[in-house]
Formats: sequence, structure tokens, C-alpha cells
Amino acid sequence: MPHVAVLALLAAYPALYHTLVETLTLYEAEVLLPSVDTMTSVLYFGLFAMSFDFISGYTGYLSFGHAAFYGTGAYTVILIANGAVPLLPTSTPFMVSLLVGGVFAVLLAIVIGLVSFRLSGVYFAMITLGFAQVLYVFVRGWDYVASNPRDGPSVGGTHPSGFDIGIPGVDPFNIGIGVLAGEEAALLGHTLSSTAVSYYMIGLVVLVCYFAMQRIIHSPFGRVMIAIRENEERAVAIGYNTYLYKLAAFAISGFFGAVAGGLFAGFRRSATPESSFYFLTTGDALLASIIGGFGTLAGPLYGWLFDETIREFLSKSGQGGGLLPYLRAGLGEETLATPVIGDMTLGGLVNTLLNGHASLYVGVVFVLFVLYVPDGLLGTVRQRVGGTLADVARARFRDQQPTPDRPGGDEE
Amino acid sequence: MIVETLLDFLTVSELGSVFFEGLAKASLYVLIASGLTLIFGLMGVLNFAHGSLTMVGAYLGGLVMVLTVTQASGTVARLAFFFLAILLVFGALTMLGGAIETTIIRPLYDRPPIYQILLTFGLTLVIDEIVRIVLSIYGMQPLSDWQAALATKPQFLREPAALGPIDVRWLAVFEILIGVLTVVATWAFLTKTRYGLYIRAGSEDTEMAAALGVDVRRVFTVVFALGIGLAGVAGTLLMWDKVWGASVPLAAETLLPAFIVVIVGGLGTFRGTVAASLVVGMTDAVMTWWFVNYIRFTGLPELMLFLVLVVTLIVRPQGLFGVEEVGGH
Repeated sequence: MPHVAVLALLAAYPALYHTLVETLTLYEAEVLLPSVDTMTSVLYFGLFAMSFDFISGYTGYLSFGHAAFYGTGAYTVILIANGAVPLLPTSTPFMVSLLVGGVFAVLLAIVIGLVSFRLSGVYFAMITLGFAQVLYVFVRGWDYVASNPRDGPSVGGTHPSGFDIGIPGVDPFNIGIGVLAGEEAALLGHTLSSTAVSYYMIGLVVLVCYFAMQRIIHSPFGRVMIAIRENEERAVAIGYNTYLYKLAAFAISGFFGAVAGGLFAGFRRSATPESSFYFLTTGDALLASIIGGFGTLAGPLYGWLFDETIREFLSKSGQGGGLLPYLRAGLGEETLATPVIGDMTLGGLVNTLLNGHASLYVGVVFVLFVLYVPDGLLGTVRQRVGGTLADVARARFRDQQPTPDRPGGDEE
Repeated sequence: MIVETLLDFLTVSELGSVFFEGLAKASLYVLIASGLTLIFGLMGVLNFAHGSLTMVGAYLGGLVMVLTVTQASGTVARLAFFFLAILLVFGALTMLGGAIETTIIRPLYDRPPIYQILLTFGLTLVIDEIVRIVLSIYGMQPLSDWQAALATKPQFLREPAALGPIDVRWLAVFEILIGVLTVVATWAFLTKTRYGLYIRAGSEDTEMAAALGVDVRRVFTVVFALGIGLAGVAGTLLMWDKVWGASVPLAAETLLPAFIVVIVGGLGTFRGTVAASLVVGMTDAVMTWWFVNYIRFTGLPELMLFLVLVVTLIVRPQGLFGVEEVGGH
């Protein structure tokens, strides 16, 4: 049930946003709601955060170099589009290059995992960080990937159209995405803008990946992952080869991380080493997982949505919505010109405190979550209702009370 | 060609200057990492905010220098002000560290250690942004080095020095000096004072130390505060080095090498940190020489540092001097 509700809300979002902001020109809605463009990035980055949570939240091994997989996916997609990958022409369908990126990431995860899973705890976090940083420094200096590797590659002239999401070879299913080069589509008499099309198409891939990961978590394989997190020695004692399980989980997680990176590159049509391979990209996934709920698969998506909403609300500097233009318009010229501290006017202070400093507030929120809401948004909700939402809703429907002693928060 | 470059490298003057550069880099690394290792050794907290606090130290040190040094100040005066800056920054950051420990780290001791790591990670975001805001109020560029602070360097530290056939920089000699002084001071504090004894006892066995009457809680606060203070000292020194310089990205630039050093040395062992600083510093210096002279790959030294980390963890997961149980979480 909650799945359906969330999906319906997400599906209705572009229309809702369009209606509130453009048809009714509701200024407050524009200030508060993230734009559809931002929501698209919430979807693909949410997928990356989920893939991070898949390994870190469920097996307890903090994969601090997870950005390596995101970057692998992103770079693969762009390099294939530019014809820089041998054997794969520029005309390779986007879905195929996504999968190729995923396979590269699986291979990479196996190489990294073979070495890293001999360690645990901080040491595991550090060795994965080490591998990812080696890759980061490498792609930043390797002039094969881009003429200026520091700025990262972007899709060149050999690949002018948007990337198509759909079944390769079946034309009607292929719909182009891309922040500038996407397609428009007609649906029930309405024309969907290219932004909305990208949003739905990327959302579709994210949805498939989410259910795939959820299926794995709920399978016996996923139970072993949780057993490893709860007590690895006992899992070994029962007879599981935890090393292989961890390695497999890491590879799966790497695959979905790369798909997320591929979607990011396909939508943005460029990638930078900082936005893909850098360790702070992993940090963002960590942030999303903690705020959303560590060890809840859907949590990171909500966490990142929360995070991006704050960022957009606080840091838009001029165009579109956000708090800053709202204050500028609402307070009036004279109020803004009043000096507050020394020479600084109120307007200057507001500018200084709000313009581009969303990380500060995100950081404060993060610290508060670690201190006071350790289970995150979704985890806390689950604890309050006593079980996963799906179970509770199902039980209510059958007019039954959910079993009260059920430990919540660590499943699904 | 390889033979030629190798012969070029293996001359007394080249090897000597690379060796000195390596020592200088090792001094900087030991400075930025020793606070981290102190905190980890006793408390098991891998402090992600360490780089940010080093950066704060660089700005505070720069501030003291810019306020005190005038155009007319001579070499002696500038050096005196520098040592004053080190003392002031050490004091200020020690207090800040104490405040951080008592207010936000302390409530987390009952939780799994991952939460302390996460908390310090959140702290970096907050500190970096606050510094950015302060800088933008004063109209300074957060991304580029603070030139006014760099300009307070005495003249002789900008000049090359010649020790026999070996070319070195006076700044490198100066950095080695400060590094050695700090290592000796920390080592003496840990081994010769009663408080150092508490700290060593606490890191061996917290419960036993508490049972024997050591106020472990206060020891934690002191160690965290001192660790942060050391980060400040490192920052003050880095402010004068134009390879580093006071800027907001310094936070990440110092955090990652500091991690490499503490992990390679063995988490929580001061001896290991010193040894690893030498390994990492020498690697850095040698790779920088090859990069400057023959191998044109951007980021070669950085790449090699992370490879040192990875190889160490593969060959000897507990680090050079680490004990396997330390920090097993």
C-alpha cells in the first residue's frame, strides 16, 4: 500500500508542480517545492544512495569508496557515446551502455571486494576509499577520457540526440532523456515537456532497480546479508561462506550504483571527476542514507529528497524558487537596505547567509539526525508504527493489529 | 632513456634534495596526522572533521600573522609572531576541541562507533560552510590561497639554501624543525607525564583504567582537545607553504593524506604515525621529482599515496605498527 501511494505521488509530481506553479502561479509553491529538474536528480542520486545502503546498511560494511561505481557508470555512458570505448560504436543504445557500465562496475567491485573483504570496520571503509581515490586521481589526470580531464568528459558532437531509455531495437518504446536534448511526448491530449519525460523515464529505471534490490533483500540471500550485519561470527558458525556473500552483495550494489551513475550522465550529458568519482559523492550518499534511514532500502531516496529540498529551498540564487528570491521580493528594497552589522545591510546579510550555503544547513540537519534521530526518517516511522509500513497496512486491511513485538526498521 | 633518467635521479645532489623534501613533507604529514591518531587511539573515533579543523587553524594562524606583521617587520619579529601564532592557535583550537567533545561527541559513546564517525563527518560540512560564510563577509576567495597570509613569510624562507652540494629550500628546513619539535613534544607528553600515562592506559584498556581511578571521561576530553590543537599547529605551518596555503579546499586536501598516514602506520599508534609519515613523505617527494622531471601524469604523487594505502592494507592490514584488535570496528 505505501508503495502505491508513494508511486502515485511521484507520478503526479510533474503535473502537480506544473499546475501549482505555472497555472495557478502560486509563488509559495515555487518557493517550497523542488523543481521537476531537481526531482529527476533526486531519483537517480536516490538510486545511488540506495545502492550504497544496499551494501553498507544491510551488511554493515561501510563502502566508503562507493563513488567509484557511480563514476564508472557515468564515464562508461559518456565514453561510449563519444566512441571512446573499443568495440562499442557511438550508436550503441543507451540501455546497452547502462548495462555495460553496470558490468564494468561488477568487475571492479569483484576486484576491490576480493581484497577489501579480508578487512572490516574502519579498515574496510579506508581501503575502499583508497581504491576509489586512486580511480579519481587517475581519471582526473588521464587525457584519454576528455581533452581536459580535470573538467571531465561531456557528450560530443558525434552523439547529438538525447539518450533513449527503452528496449533497444523496438522503436516505439524508446524515449529520449537529457536535460537539454530530451524529447517531448503527447499523453492523453497533454504535451509533456522534455523535463517531465526525462523524469518519468529515469523514474522508471529507478523503479525497476528498486524492486530488483528489494527482491534481493527479501530473498534468503538478503537474510544472510542481515545476518552478517547482526553477527558475522554466528553467520559463519551456521555454515555460510560470508566472504562470498559479501562479495556478491558488493557486486550487486556496484551494478546498481553504476546504473545510477549512467542515468546521471545520460541526463546531464557530462560528468566531472568531482561529481562522480570523488569521495564527497559517497559522502552525499551517506548523508542521504542516514537522514532517510540506514538499513531501509527506500530510506535513502527520501533522505536525498529531504536533502535536495533543503538545498533548493536555501540556495537558489536568483532564478526560480527558493527562500532567497522570496525574501528579496517579500522584504522590499528599504528593509533590505537597513544596515545591521557595521556596513552590512540586511540584504547583504541575507545574501551572505543564504546564497549557496545550503551545505551548512544540511550539515546541521545531519548532525541533529545523528544525535537525535539515529534511525532516520523511514526507520523512525517504522519503529513508531511497529513494523514495515507494508506489513502494518496489510494487517490493518485484514482488521488485524500488527504484531506488537516485531522489531522494525531493519527490513525491506 | 630509463637508464639515463635513473642515473639523473641517482646523483648526490638530486637524491639529497629529494631526501630533504621528503623529510619536510613527512614533517607536515606527521603534524596533520598525529592529532588524528591520538584521538583514534584512545577513543576509537575516526575524526572526519580533522581536515576542516586544520583548515580553521590555517586561517586563524594567518589571521594572527596578518594582524601582527607589518611591512617593516624583520625576520626575527616575523618568526616570533609565527611562534606566537602557533601558541594562540593551539590554545584556541584546544578549547574548540574540548567544547566539541563535551557537547556533541560525548552523548554518542553508548552508540555503535559508526555514529561518532558520522557525526564528525557532518561537522566538516558545518565548519567548511561557516568558514565560507565568514570569508565571503570579508570579501575573500574561499577557493584560492590567502595571499596576505603567504606574504607574511620572512624573506629567507622564500630562498633556496645550499647544504654542500644539496639544494634545499629554507622553508623545508624550517618545516622539518617544527615537525621534529612537535613529535618530540608529543612523545614526551605521552611517555613522561602522568597525563600521558593515563592516556596510554586508557587506550590499552579503558575499563581497567577507569577501575584504577583514572577519570577516563576527562581524559577523553583532554585527548580530543589536544588532538584538535595539533591540527591547529599543522594548519598554522601549512599557511606558509604555497603548495598548501590557507583555503577552504585545504580541509579535504589534508584529511585524505592524514587518513593515509594513520592507516598505514596502524590506527592509534603514535610510533606508527611517525614511521608512516616518513614512508608517505618520501614517496611523495620521490614521485614529485619524477613527475616534475620525466613522467607527465597529473596527480602522480597523489595516486602513489593512495596506492601506498591500498598496498599496505593488502599486505599488512593492521598497518606498520598496528595491533590487530585496536579499533576493530
